[in-house]
Amino acid sequence: MALFFLLPLAALVRMSLSEQTQRFSLDAMFTGRVANYTEVLVQYGPVLWRSLAFAGVATLLCGLIGYPMAYAISRQGGRWKPLLLGLVVVPFFTSYLVRTIAWTTLLADQGPVLALLSWLGLVSPLERLGLVVEGRILNTAAAVIGGLTYNGLPFMVLPLVVSLEKIDPRLLEAAADLHARGGRTFRRVIWPLSLPGLLAGVLLTFIPAAGDLVNAQYLGGPGNRMIGNSLQNLLLVQNRYPAAAALGVVLMVMLSLLLVLSLGKLDRDSLTGP
Amino acid sequence: MPPDLPLSRRRFLARSSWALIGVTLAPSLAACTGQGKDSEAAAKAKRLVISSWPLYIDPGTKDDPGSVERFSKQTGIDVTYKEDINDPLAFFSRIQPDLAAGKRLPQDIIVPTYWVAQRLIDLDWVDPLPLSQIPNAANLLPSLDKPSWDPSGRFSLPWQTGITGIAYNIEATGRELRSVDDLFDPAFRGKVGFLTEMRDTIGLLMLADGQDPAKPSFRSAEGAFNRLEQAKADGQIRAFTGNDYQDDLLAGNFAACVAWSGDVAQLSLEQPKLRFVVPESGGIRFADVMVMPKGAPHRDAAAAWMNFVYDPVNAARIAAAVNYISPVRGVAEILARDPATAAMARNPLMFPDAAMERRLTKFGPLSPEEESRFDARFAAITGG
Repeated sequence: MALFFLLPLAALVRMSLSEQTQRFSLDAMFTGRVANYTEVLVQYGPVLWRSLAFAGVATLLCGLIGYPMAYAISRQGGRWKPLLLGLVVVPFFTSYLVRTIAWTTLLADQGPVLALLSWLGLVSPLERLGLVVEGRILNTAAAVIGGLTYNGLPFMVLPLVVSLEKIDPRLLEAAADLHARGGRTFRRVIWPLSLPGLLAGVLLTFIPAAGDLVNAQYLGGPGNRMIGNSLQNLLLVQNRYPAAAALGVVLMVMLSLLLVLSLGKLDRDSLTGP
Repeated sequence: MPPDLPLSRRRFLARSSWALIGVTLAPSLAACTGQGKDSEAAAKAKRLVISSWPLYIDPGTKDDPGSVERFSKQTGIDVTYKEDINDPLAFFSRIQPDLAAGKRLPQDIIVPTYWVAQRLIDLDWVDPLPLSQIPNAANLLPSLDKPSWDPSGRFSLPWQTGITGIAYNIEATGRELRSVDDLFDPAFRGKVGFLTEMRDTIGLLMLADGQDPAKPSFRSAEGAFNRLEQAKADGQIRAFTGNDYQDDLLAGNFAACVAWSGDVAQLSLEQPKLRFVVPESGGIRFADVMVMPKGAPHRDAAAAWMNFVYDPVNAARIAAAVNYISPVRGVAEILARDPATAAMARNPLMFPDAAMERRLTKFGPLSPEEESRFDARFAAITGG
């Protein structure tokens, strides 16, 4: 634990407060330079918010799509359950990068998605919603969020399936005995008991999405870059290691705060029920 | 002759660089080979380790072995040819920790992009080439002799070179393009791409702005940066890309973009709708160059390899496989003799004539301070 977690973390924090001796040297002098933080916050503040917003929307979408999917698989899956679960997971046997690049083909200007939408007459309504920009989907914010959602979905579905499976059927029978209908059983029994799975899904989706760089790189335009792209650029192109470390620490602290807040809230909810 | 490659090396790099970044960021463990006392023996040893870009050499077939195999057979030198450079900067950060610490790399020859080579030369992280053992170095094209990235000419020999210009899909533009201004035509709004390689994008815009990228300064590039920033704000620019611009061009997502000559030379063989033009204001000449990292153990073998690939016949085989501009004199004549490759010898993107050469500029050296400012300004625009 100390070796694999605390040590790198300490090195990161130290670097984030250091000054580089030369541009291409990895040696940095620890000077307690807090300005590294203010500089990256000023410069990358908007990108940070954009990343959290993109990740948030993607997580919400994953929940909205993933919950019904998980519910259907665990409750109505029957003997198809293993197959359905397999279908959720199979695309993820290929590399993350390849999957994401595949979407560039699907979303291309003469690609199948736009062709279908225009056949359905949906292009201009979607344009009014801002989901299609100047007749294109690729290289827009919607495409980036879509990519994050797609890539996060299994991480939402799998923990949900597990927690829905674990619900004791006798509880549902008891609810029925007490004349609770479907909706009420769901609200009072299933939903609260599935919250731990939902929480796990939210964490597994949100955290990687907030730090992602691949979706924004391939599916986004120059105005839709995320904090992962900025970090990559600071590290590899600009060689500003202290700044990159500071930005990394900021991202980590923000995510941790969000986590603590949501964990606290969800924990109470799942204990007391609605 | 080897068959057409399905992917050019720069096309491949866009695909694989992300996958490799994870590896790159981890500290390099492989490099410590230990400083042997028997460096004299090592220099004569029949071994050679090269790191280059993917698909940047003739691969050969069973009946017609590629350059690496033929070299090994001819000299008895055991070559490890790694295709592990996928992104100029990712590669730099991989070798940086060892070279900065004064450790030796496992490679005897690496093939970085010219401005990375310049950085390595400035940092004193490369050895001078044993040019006395490379008589074929005399075949170097005069236009590449003592280039701006290596003014003494002692540290590097170009592997391949190319031109940065404008590629367009004639079906999407509906007209031929001639100048950089065409990239800013409102008719192509949201259909224009620029490269994430700062020197290519800014260099081309500097030329259009009447500035000289051979002597770049932050002030002389200001106009280029402003123009790019405005175009991004106007929604003119769809994306900044690496090699993936080729897919965008083919799919019609881009009407036009800044592009590299070799890729388009290759693609346009099958896709006549793709065109490449060196804009009226001029193009940028780039190069990937061979250098020997400091303390490279097998100096004799490295010299033998460089001498081998600077033989025009061997250089012609490589040029025919990769479609970039060979730095070796006499390659066009050799390709012209073979009916299978005669068309290549006439291709101005592979063999620019004197008039074309005059329109090409090499992006000049930047001091570390200037480079930081360029990179920061460029990153702010590209959203890096």
